[in-house]
Amino acid sequence: MSLSKRNKKNKTMKKIFIVFILSAGLFVSCTELEVTPTSFTTTENLFKTQDDAVASVTAVYASLTLDPGEQTLFGRNLYFLTDMASDYAAAGVSATNPQVRALSSLTHDATSDRVQVAWRQIYSGINRANVAIDNIPKVSGNEVIKTRLINEAKFIRALLYFQAVRLWGGVPIVLHEPTSIAVESLKSKRATVEEVYTQIIKDLTDAESLPSTYGATDIGRATSGAAKSILVKVYLTRKDWPNTILKAREVINGGYGYALFENFADAFERTKENGKEHIFSAQFEPNQAGNGSSGINFAATSFTGFTATEPADIISDVALFYDIYAAGDTRRDASYMKQLLNPATGTLYTFPKPLFKKYIDFTNLNARSNTGVNFPIIRYADVLLSLAEAINERDGATLEAHELVNQIRRRAFAKPILTPNVTVDLVGRTTIQLREDIREERKKEFVQEGQRWFDLVRWGTLVTEVKKVTAKNSVSERNNLFPIPQSERNIDPVGLPQNDGY
Amino acid sequence: MKKILNINSWLFILLLSVSMNAQDNKLLIQSKLNGRVVDEVTNEPVIGASVSIKGITHGVVTDIDGKFYFQTGQKFPYTIIISYIGYKKKEVYVDGSPVLVELKPDVQELNELVVVGYGKQSKKDITGSVVSVPKENLSRVTASADNLLRGAVSGVVVTQSSGSPGASSSVRIRGGSSITAGNEPLYVVDGILIYNDNSNASAGVSNAGASVNVLSTISPGDIESIEVLKDASATAIYGSRGANGVIIITTKKGTKGQDNISYQGYVGFQKITKKLDLLNASDWASLRNDVQASIGQAPSFSAAQIEELKTSGGYDWQSAAFRTAPVQNHQLSFSGGDERSRYAVSAGFFDQEGILLGTDFKRISLRANLERNYSENFKFGVNANYSNSISNGLANRTATSNRNPNALTTLLYQPPVVPIYNADGSYNLNNNPYATAVNNIIPNPINDLENTVNETKIDRILTSLFGEYKVNKEITAKVAVSGDIINTKQNYYAPATTEAGAATKGFASVGNRTVSSVLNENTINYNTRFGDDHKFSALGGYTLQYTQGEVVNAGANTFVNDNNEFNALQDGVPVKPYSDAFESVLKSWLARVNYSYKGKYNLTLSARADGSSRFGSKSLWGYFPSAGFSWNIIDEDFAKDLKGVDDIKLRLSAGTTGNQEIGNYLALSSVGSVNYSLGGTIQTGLAPTRLANPDLKWEKTTQYNAGLDVSFLDRRVNLVFDAYYKKTSDLLISVPVPLISGYASVLQNIGGVENKGIEIGLNTENIKTDGFSWNSNIVFSANKNKVTEIGNGIEQFFPIVPNSTLLQQQPVTVKVGLPLGTFWGYKSDGIFQTQEEVNTQPKINSLANTRIGDRRYVDTNGDGVITATDKVSLGTSQPKFVASFSNTVIYHDFDLNFSFQGSYGGKIFNALKQQLEISTLGTNASTALLDRWTPANPSNEIPRATSSPLGIVTERYVEDASFLRLKTITLGYTLPKGIASKIGTKSIKVYVSAENLFTWTKYTGFDPEVSTFEQNNLYPGIDIGSYPNSKTFLTGINVTF
Repeated sequence: MSLSKRNKKNKTMKKIFIVFILSAGLFVSCTELEVTPTSFTTTENLFKTQDDAVASVTAVYASLTLDPGEQTLFGRNLYFLTDMASDYAAAGVSATNPQVRALSSLTHDATSDRVQVAWRQIYSGINRANVAIDNIPKVSGNEVIKTRLINEAKFIRALLYFQAVRLWGGVPIVLHEPTSIAVESLKSKRATVEEVYTQIIKDLTDAESLPSTYGATDIGRATSGAAKSILVKVYLTRKDWPNTILKAREVINGGYGYALFENFADAFERTKENGKEHIFSAQFEPNQAGNGSSGINFAATSFTGFTATEPADIISDVALFYDIYAAGDTRRDASYMKQLLNPATGTLYTFPKPLFKKYIDFTNLNARSNTGVNFPIIRYADVLLSLAEAINERDGATLEAHELVNQIRRRAFAKPILTPNVTVDLVGRTTIQLREDIREERKKEFVQEGQRWFDLVRWGTLVTEVKKVTAKNSVSERNNLFPIPQSERNIDPVGLPQNDGY
Repeated sequence: MKKILNINSWLFILLLSVSMNAQDNKLLIQSKLNGRVVDEVTNEPVIGASVSIKGITHGVVTDIDGKFYFQTGQKFPYTIIISYIGYKKKEVYVDGSPVLVELKPDVQELNELVVVGYGKQSKKDITGSVVSVPKENLSRVTASADNLLRGAVSGVVVTQSSGSPGASSSVRIRGGSSITAGNEPLYVVDGILIYNDNSNASAGVSNAGASVNVLSTISPGDIESIEVLKDASATAIYGSRGANGVIIITTKKGTKGQDNISYQGYVGFQKITKKLDLLNASDWASLRNDVQASIGQAPSFSAAQIEELKTSGGYDWQSAAFRTAPVQNHQLSFSGGDERSRYAVSAGFFDQEGILLGTDFKRISLRANLERNYSENFKFGVNANYSNSISNGLANRTATSNRNPNALTTLLYQPPVVPIYNADGSYNLNNNPYATAVNNIIPNPINDLENTVNETKIDRILTSLFGEYKVNKEITAKVAVSGDIINTKQNYYAPATTEAGAATKGFASVGNRTVSSVLNENTINYNTRFGDDHKFSALGGYTLQYTQGEVVNAGANTFVNDNNEFNALQDGVPVKPYSDAFESVLKSWLARVNYSYKGKYNLTLSARADGSSRFGSKSLWGYFPSAGFSWNIIDEDFAKDLKGVDDIKLRLSAGTTGNQEIGNYLALSSVGSVNYSLGGTIQTGLAPTRLANPDLKWEKTTQYNAGLDVSFLDRRVNLVFDAYYKKTSDLLISVPVPLISGYASVLQNIGGVENKGIEIGLNTENIKTDGFSWNSNIVFSANKNKVTEIGNGIEQFFPIVPNSTLLQQQPVTVKVGLPLGTFWGYKSDGIFQTQEEVNTQPKINSLANTRIGDRRYVDTNGDGVITATDKVSLGTSQPKFVASFSNTVIYHDFDLNFSFQGSYGGKIFNALKQQLEISTLGTNASTALLDRWTPANPSNEIPRATSSPLGIVTERYVEDASFLRLKTITLGYTLPKGIASKIGTKSIKVYVSAENLFTWTKYTGFDPEVSTFEQNNLYPGIDIGSYPNSKTFLTGINVTF
């Protein structure tokens, strides 16, 4: 090798060496360890604009109807507790979850997954409301809208605490979003029933200042009428008759335009949702819970197609709950179906037992898990019957109390609602008789509407009524409350003492 | 120019010698012998080897090209003896010139180099537990590289998750050390660090079913060696990714010397190993009558109808679904090199049909490995691999897949009285009174299998460029830049006639996922000796890996017809689309020091610092040190007297490694979208979904290892023994927090798991005579796994199994003191035989209507009722030990390889069996139900027929998964060199081979090697709807030109 070649080579080698060092250095300097996600927002970065605030409140509402991978709160999960664990509903053969069967036979314990999921869903919604209430004040935007959004969140928070306090008694009151992941800071001990109600009434009182109506794109949001109507139920549950009567009259006479549908079945007709009788409903919509699912399960679990196989949600005792409707009472065939026309064969199919019917969308029998019938959280009929109950309890069986019950009955029998009718009207009932009448009407009126267990507990008749159903004779006084989920007590055994009997 | 001449002349000589062979033989009177001696493995010339003719003293030595030349009075034929230090002495029978002699390296040679992290090390100096996969395993016929590890190395358990072509398996080195983070080892392919996350090959298309194995993108035929790094001394150099062990894969490189062209190919077929015993038509009809009776309904079949079914026989849905499926593989490789350049180039094609209709796997792979000595001090090279694979897998159902996750289970449940085909040969899509029609279609699972498209196409480029610069004799610097790009496209289409497409008149979904990772590694090596006694080497480096990924998928339904399948989403009604993006950065400093004194005492210290973007802002950097010590006892004076012992080495090591396979961004809080309908339209809401944890960091595993390597009887028996203890702390667990916080859990470093075990590798040369040899390799490993802490005072939790039926049963638990994957359920206690028993004995509380003939469960806590608190551990999916016994028998030109594999003490929750033993009105059942309880047959095993499909986890369904299997058997014949060369080749080998030929097991499912939920650590060993394993029969040929 000549000298010049050697020099050239040496130069090249130096170059290579420099490239080496450079390439290493380049990579060292160009990348930071802290990466910013581009496909999701962190909580800290969420609340900037009014749209963010709106979205955070939409999420609060969504806690009623959406929980990916689970039955949704008002789409079925509450139903296990408030209906299947009452007298008229039962777990059918297709109910494969032992915990669901346990609720049906009232043999559930603190490990019940349904009870735990309901607890989780309720508090998840409360947390979303807390996040919205804590953060909306700091976004830029219209103060009126911001206040409205906060009050909507308060309405849902109160609604959820109202479920919780009735299901479990005094529950922990959490009013702010968590600021740390330390478990100690996330714990909170059970408050008294009184404290929970005080909080509920406070939130609902704030929510009374909500608008009474919304524009077309906002229909479905909580209104002042809804806040007052939930307050009616709160006071009724507390046996605070004067306030029940006061609030119910505000709802009835407040110019909100509420009225009963002339046809009972219309209350569960998709085309009539958010109508004059619907004061507040959990809004379900096809594909809402993801592709091919709406979040309301009743259509799929009450009707499994034209087969003899018993669905998961079924009437417990036909004689006690189906055969009781008088001839002409339209509520029976709006709530149950004994037969159904099979569109594929053109023949009328007869089921071994009548099936629940209210949430089945007959225009969409094939995609039953993707139907969009709303779940009525409070209907005007409930306000009327609540007022009748409160008047009867405070003042006795007055004419007004009679009239309120009769409006419900006339509608049930497809008679003009406000015109006295000798064939269906109740007349001259005593307080005790009218009390029984109201209870009977509620039983027939609110099938699959999440009312029955609350009613029976409020009346103190849970054990006697449920015992009438043979398969449910394990019922006892403990069933007036549900157990605090064991998983919660594992983390905080001290702050969360268990309810009696569990 | 000189080099080119060299290559050309070699080619010329090669061709000439091949063509002239025949003539030479006849013409010779006094023989002249031209020959060349090369290393059998590397093909490098062996310089200075001595060659002599047997029986006479005349001998020569090979030159710099490994060539030698003889002139002798001996006539052909005669035998020559070739010997060289480091190689096994060889005798070759020659009947003509020239001759090529391949010497086999003496594997026991102490200077053998072993691939370790970021370099190679002399086997004698190694302090850690590093094991190479035997060559016999590497030549095994398989679709995916991870299968080469099966039964090859102690301490490595490979579990196939399904028999689907191209499907994934899970690899565990020394047990699972993590609960929720990844447990797969780190793979290092030609220096590129890869975590084998199968989700990288999933675009998230709905219903896609079992995932495709990312490692299947590497052609097994390209693999030169696989090393398994097990203890901390070996793996700590990989820091936060070393906790689950490291597998180093090196692909074939060219070598100086001859150019080789080789072809490897095989064809064969596969068959199902077994079918499940299901009821025939008449037995099913009787069962249905009993179910009807249990709910007070009239029988569905008259006695005459049942009798008629006995003769007509019904329909065998299983047989209609399975087929004998062909498999073929072809690989063509070119390799060689000269003084300054080396190359290896290959192309491969693999094509496998699945034994289940509608499934297959195809792969094209291309590889080019090039290396060039630019100068004496500098060399550079490239390793490039491209592969394209297409697989069609078994699709999942759209429904929330409870007892029936896919078409395989649907067909097993299909009543045997339902015809598969119509009279005209088309699929029966309406004649089935036991199912409900949807849009006038009653889905037919065979039609579903055949016509559902579930395609995954993966393009992968795995490439690295490196330059290596020798600063001086002692210092070498290396820079490598590599890239790994995985581009996955998934296509799914369920026609309107299928289960998943009927309700929506067709369902189409497409998705794309691209993940690319760039890695830059800069290392400096320092090697020196101080005097004769002190050997010292050091390694330092800085590396950086940047990974980013993007995912998008979209779907539509309600198509006019099925013509365009997934290629015209615009013709249907769109469903919600999805897109996502992520990135991660890992920066690392690494260092290692090796010191060896007199070759007797060796010390290795290593450390790595990893900074990962996945960790929380308060703990971005982790530090992972290790120390290893080994002592070559044999070199001590006192050991000289040990007769028959050739080697004894003691190894001790301790160190800390980490696991950062926790996913991206998990330290940050997040907001997710949730919908609500307002004004009749769906609005997007944003809800908090995760709390931030700025302290989030890697999982930390501290491992102690003691090993002993012993060779005796002239190195015919070699034993490697290791015992280890691995303690993992700071385990990432989604710790349940009070639900009143609005969150169910928070990811925290809180748990602990320990693994301890022993490993034995025993390699023996049982018989060694002239024409006959028999070698065996026994591998044994026993691992004990235990969860030591879950955190927040919680002792037990039940992982959410993504299957609504199993989720409710809660079959698996994580409990302090028990191994991961522990099955949890009731102990059963026969059947209620009398009403007296029903009235007085404990009953399961949720089955309010317990009757005579129902199963009885044990009231373990004695409170009079059967509740969830009576559930107990029913065993774990983790085996007590696994072992394999591999043999190579060579008789002249024949070689026989066979390998047994076994596993003992593991359990599988056979959820499919549980579901098949549930009677319903509309589904077929296991033949076990023939023995069901009836008043006339008071069975104490099988309950009465009911229509309540309620699955209960009991020991009946948690089955012993122990097995012994003749995993592979291969008989090969290598043509004598003379004949091979006459037809113009260097060597030809033909073989026949069978895989999974025999399996001895008590497991009643399709196959005891199963894990429906794939790589998941929380609920391994569940069998429901997994693609069954197959037997494979192959015949193949390997030719080198």
